Amino acid sequence: MKNFYVKYKREILVFIAAIVMCAVFTAINPQFFTWRNMLTVFQQMVLNSLLAAGIMFTILTGGIDLSIGCTFAIVGIAVASGCVGGMNPFIAIVIGLLVGAVLGLFNGVLVANLKLQPFIATLGTMSLYRGIAYVVTGGTPVTNVPDSFRNIFNGQIGTTGIRFYVLVMIVVFIIVHIILSKTRTGDYLYAVGGNEEAAKLSGVNVKKTKYIAYIASGVCTAIAGLVMLASLGSAEPTAGIGYETNAIAAAAIGGTSMAGGRGTALGTFVGALMLAVLKVGMVVINVDSFWQYVVTGLIIIVASYFEYIKGDVAAFMARHKKA
Amino acid sequence: MGNAVEFVKINKHFPGVHVLKDISFTVKEGEVHALLGENGAGKSTLLNILHGVYSEYEGEVYLHGKKVSFKNPNDAILNGNIYKVHQETMVVEELTVGQNVTLGYEPKKGLFIDFAKMHSDVDAILQELNCSFRSRDIVSTLTAGEKQMLAIAKAVYHHSNIISLDEPTASLTSKETEALFSIVRKLKKDGITILYVSHHLEEIFQICDRATIMRDGEFITTLDIKKTTQDELIHAMVGRSVSAVAARLKPSQAKPEVVLKVDKLTDGHKFSDISFELHKGEILGFYGLVGAGRTEIMRVITGADQKIGGKITLKGKEVTGGWNSTKALKAGIGLLPEDRKTQGFNKLASNCENIAISSLEKYLTGGFTSDSKKMENAKYFFRELDINPKLPEYMTVNMSGGNQQKVILAKWMSTNVDIIIFDEPTKGVDVAAKAEIYRLMEELVANGKSIIVVSSELPEAVGISDRLIVMSEGKITAEFTDRKDMDSDVILNYAIGGNQA
Repeated sequence: MKNFYVKYKREILVFIAAIVMCAVFTAINPQFFTWRNMLTVFQQMVLNSLLAAGIMFTILTGGIDLSIGCTFAIVGIAVASGCVGGMNPFIAIVIGLLVGAVLGLFNGVLVANLKLQPFIATLGTMSLYRGIAYVVTGGTPVTNVPDSFRNIFNGQIGTTGIRFYVLVMIVVFIIVHIILSKTRTGDYLYAVGGNEEAAKLSGVNVKKTKYIAYIASGVCTAIAGLVMLASLGSAEPTAGIGYETNAIAAAAIGGTSMAGGRGTALGTFVGALMLAVLKVGMVVINVDSFWQYVVTGLIIIVASYFEYIKGDVAAFMARHKKA
Repeated sequence: MGNAVEFVKINKHFPGVHVLKDISFTVKEGEVHALLGENGAGKSTLLNILHGVYSEYEGEVYLHGKKVSFKNPNDAILNGNIYKVHQETMVVEELTVGQNVTLGYEPKKGLFIDFAKMHSDVDAILQELNCSFRSRDIVSTLTAGEKQMLAIAKAVYHHSNIISLDEPTASLTSKETEALFSIVRKLKKDGITILYVSHHLEEIFQICDRATIMRDGEFITTLDIKKTTQDELIHAMVGRSVSAVAARLKPSQAKPEVVLKVDKLTDGHKFSDISFELHKGEILGFYGLVGAGRTEIMRVITGADQKIGGKITLKGKEVTGGWNSTKALKAGIGLLPEDRKTQGFNKLASNCENIAISSLEKYLTGGFTSDSKKMENAKYFFRELDINPKLPEYMTVNMSGGNQQKVILAKWMSTNVDIIIFDEPTKGVDVAAKAEIYRLMEELVANGKSIIVVSSELPEAVGISDRLIVMSEGKITAEFTDRKDMDSDVILNYAIGGNQA
């Protein structure tokens, strides 16, 4: 247990902050702390947490994937078209994941082979992928996705109100956690992000590691795209605009270092949880929607300051007692 | 003469470690005062306190008799007239020398920088210091030695009367070192006090007046250099007698079998037409001046960079297209890079992780990596190589230079690598750890491994090598197969390439 605390200090801190927020919202409006509202929080965090899990892979290697919002749209369109055209929904899902993987791999090739800066490379594919989404659809949404597909994600567990896509999110995070902490790939991702040159000289296959990071980003994004499609029943070429910023925020709040080499699945999960609590809470206590942006921004900045002190509460307290 | 610096009962704690224990001593005005000790003795911490990097400590610091307490390094430079020249000089490569020297304190004309005054002021200082470069030169065109002098010019610009030099010669050629020394002597004549940190004891005897020795965070003694021998210094630093020079304790283990053959290797830039063989069990030395192209060759051999011509044959098999470090690892060849801090290990990772990264397939349980197996492996090497402190879970970046080097060596020893290339293995490593690294090399070859050592320290190259190759400006200029023929003057002449001899 003590080891768990040492290893996940930062994550625990963010989780506690989220609990404190819950307490504050409940004090203002007791309606916040109800089963139904808690479910809303979890549903609210699904899309962002999946995108954050994906983008975290690229950030861990010292990169970034700005194209996730556009990959998200393309996957939605591809799967929606397939389902509307009568395709077996499970085959459509596999195709959706493959589309995400291929778009991610393309980013990976730009970064690993052409040595483009990840920010610029994915800024390029961001526009490229969005353009593809518009060209393919002619700008009009693909609608009337059959229930046979939608129910796979929208169904509920008995009468609990817990939707299947919440389970999907949890399963994805468990898998990401295992990849990062229990596989060679995980070790290589941290090694490349921590010191690419040292990793290379140690015999780590840096290129392959980067491919994996960008493919993982594409696949997680695709899963988010599937969830979105299921809940809306239609796919729009404009879907996902600006989603990358929220995903980065969730990862950063959870302790993912923008310089690479540091970050955990658990951290990104609690980061996304905190943002969802904030968003739902502000609605419940009737904060003006314009002010919601202001508050969210401030929370991101404050949370990043905690990243600066590396989640070390003891040092933080010591420093501020003397000052 | 008064005291330039006086430390009174300085104590400093880091979480869980008492790094400085009751340090008290004085530095006289106008002297060159050496600060000596092994890595981890507390020299850097003490300098950081003096220069305002650490503002929290117990005890008192006096400059010229006045108690001071700096909030940050800038405060120390501006209000204390005290300047620290860093080990790796921090410069902005794209700016001119003048802009670097005056950075943050440029002479102004109204809102704008007065470039004419900047360059004339800085040129005056450079002339005073006998520097060969000028204020309008772009810093990226300067050599490592010139950058070091730029940093000193910066100290003079700030009218510093106490200057600390932290390992100033670590990346300098012997000629540049000589130039640096003449500047130090000149500053001394001008009444400026110099604090000098170095692992090169010969340098201490060349330019220092007195030396303060620290060990394990404690003050040991202050000695008058003129009345001291090198052995006395070492004994005070280490607490026991250690041989300062590299020497073979065991006979050569070299076998006739060739494990690595390099034929007419060329990278089209830094070296050309390089041919040599490495035998099983051999320690093959590569001596040359900084920039002779040795590091570049080793990087090509280990797949870190690409060749444009020539052949590499490993254990009888020629290396073919697409050679990279991953393949090199599989083929059994590994490199301990010269620049440990930027290339040797992951700063964000523990010793245990850094040791495991090249041999992860060893620590699998049912397809998943096992932390406890990694830890077991790390513990084994911590014992075997006597890595200290005995904390495999500790961050490598917090270890001393010699122990970091051992951690990197442990990484290669965890793999099946049997050819190990040491690039400047004892750079920035203290005497005791140096001796241990030499001993480990001997153990490695006794166990059938083969070693290439790249070294710019002549006594080291001569002391440790079974066979020595000398390089100058990208070409092999000599090879010494018999240890008896390795004469320092002759070797040096080949390293200079005869151009300057």
